[in-house]
Amino acid sequence: MKVLDRKKLILVNSVLLVLLVISAAACSLLGPVRLDLSQALTHLFSGNTDAEILLRARLPRVLLGVAIGGGMATCGVVLQALLGNPLACPQMLGVSGGASLGGILGIIFFPNWLFPLAIGRLGEISWIPLAAFLGALLSMILVYRFSLFHGRLHPYHLLLSGVILNSFIAAIIMFLNSIVDFYQAQGLLFWLMGSLSTRAYLTVGFIWFYILVGFLWLWSKGLSLNLITLGEDAAMHLGVEPGALQRQVFIASSLMIGAMVSVSGMIGFVGLMVPHVMRLLIGSDHRLLLPASFLGGGIFLCWADTFARVLLAPAELPVGIVTAFFGGPFFLFLLYREGRRSLAL
Amino acid sequence: MIRSPRLFASHLLLIFVIGFSSSGNAVSASSPRRIVSLAPSITETVFALGFGNRLVGVTNHCDFPAEAKRLPKIGDFMSPSLEVIAAKEPDLVIGVVGATDPSKAREIERLGMKIALVSVSSVSEILSSFKQIAALLGDPDAGARLVEKIDVQFDKVKRRVAPAPRRSTLLAVGLRPLVAVGGKNFLDELITVAGGENIAGNASQPWLNLPDEYVVAKAPQVIIQAGMGSDTGRPMSQWSDLKSIPAVKERRIYSYNSDKILRPGPRIGEGLEEIARLIHPECFDAAKSAAAKGSRCESSRS
Repeated sequence: MKVLDRKKLILVNSVLLVLLVISAAACSLLGPVRLDLSQALTHLFSGNTDAEILLRARLPRVLLGVAIGGGMATCGVVLQALLGNPLACPQMLGVSGGASLGGILGIIFFPNWLFPLAIGRLGEISWIPLAAFLGALLSMILVYRFSLFHGRLHPYHLLLSGVILNSFIAAIIMFLNSIVDFYQAQGLLFWLMGSLSTRAYLTVGFIWFYILVGFLWLWSKGLSLNLITLGEDAAMHLGVEPGALQRQVFIASSLMIGAMVSVSGMIGFVGLMVPHVMRLLIGSDHRLLLPASFLGGGIFLCWADTFARVLLAPAELPVGIVTAFFGGPFFLFLLYREGRRSLAL
Repeated sequence: MIRSPRLFASHLLLIFVIGFSSSGNAVSASSPRRIVSLAPSITETVFALGFGNRLVGVTNHCDFPAEAKRLPKIGDFMSPSLEVIAAKEPDLVIGVVGATDPSKAREIERLGMKIALVSVSSVSEILSSFKQIAALLGDPDAGARLVEKIDVQFDKVKRRVAPAPRRSTLLAVGLRPLVAVGGKNFLDELITVAGGENIAGNASQPWLNLPDEYVVAKAPQVIIQAGMGSDTGRPMSQWSDLKSIPAVKERRIYSYNSDKILRPGPRIGEGLEEIARLIHPECFDAAKSAAAKGSRCESSRS
């Protein structure tokens, strides 16, 4: 395996980090309503309209977008490596479906339950994300059980059982959608389309902590992931235990996906596309690819959400529409360019 | 809902046919005796016109008046069952433009049943839907009487809130995501008549998903949360962190969990009064002491 190019690692990631910080700042200042920054800053703690728009309505949302975008892209990278499948993405494992079902059952059975501790300064926290996370855990255990044979996790079974569980759950969700209250169906839409709308810093902080821990752990497995993409036999000869690595990476990424889907619903495309874009731009050394994808995913989702808020203002678009609309053509362009270049060689 | 242009055209044609037939034949001798309703508001209208006993099928969502609950069901509001409808052998099926699937409407026609679709997307359309349905049922006078009754209810509310200043209002039907009443929606008109001003009234969509920042920027004085599940407790808690919104500061956030104000049917007069009571409670409390001079409603005139 090639030695890690430290110069490239530092250069690429510092450029991306600077872009991410600029994007987050810009997205906090842009929106469907005009924000008077000086007004917001002078009344930062007394809470006038501008301060509330900045601190309550936008900042938590931007921070959540960066975390979710980064987390989704990270999970996309490791799943594509683990399953050896370029189509692998966080939405594909049954986990995201399980989280949605949990959330939807939460909406139907206890729509307005709130955690009493967080009312007030930290913003509302509902039980629904917790229900969604439980759903994610359950479906993760199911998928895991159906793909584990003789102590080995089989990528082929993992992929199929995840996809099948997802369509099975989609059927349950559509069934629930047809029996619930006409207006409750609006809440279900949230899980199907995904949204970054939040005002709860507690949730945002929790997600950041969770995703950072997961990301750092996966990053530390970067070299092993490089080796496993060479094939399981080759990896074994080079001192990687494929069975253990597959199990650990699957559990870590499922836990991350479960937590992300439980707060933001199913935001598609980021986890599929950003890893491929980054691979095309900087190569497929996972030690470099993982942090670059995290930062790239954060930048992408942060801007996508800003477009979602602005394009049809005052109406807000589901952010998944924006990610697919802008991401799809860009991805196809990169793919085409790459294909032509490799043919020319 | 996405429709193909062809379906949309047939849809328009249907409306035209209905409009034409309802104005064409005045009191027909053979008025329909077996009616199927494809929407809760239609069921309410047929009952209000005094023809509830002719209904042979209603949707699963038709729950008002109480008698409607006992009527045979023909399926969901969005997806009624064709066979069940056909089995009822109706001589008239009534649906709603935009809610009733146009391809289903065509199927019903092809099966030899008579179907009428009425538009209910504005107050004037709702009122004329009463007249259309009454004409279809062979009793145009009942339609005129119902419209008159609602006109009286509207006038009463208008008089009550006339002295009060307009209050900016958010009417939400979902909180996560926040779905609000936009423009081109009869509820937007009801808010205006009730002495409010819809903060999302300039939107071109009848229902829209609003970002939180828009609500903060528009600073509504009243927030009404309607039709959100079963729990009506603690309407404040969802908003308590946004203290710059006047509705939050003055605790004018109300949960109103009833279809009464959301259905484009004969209860819109009552619905209007409910909305007006939430937007201008002082105008209704003050009424007890007759038109006592210096009442809060009177004094708050700007």
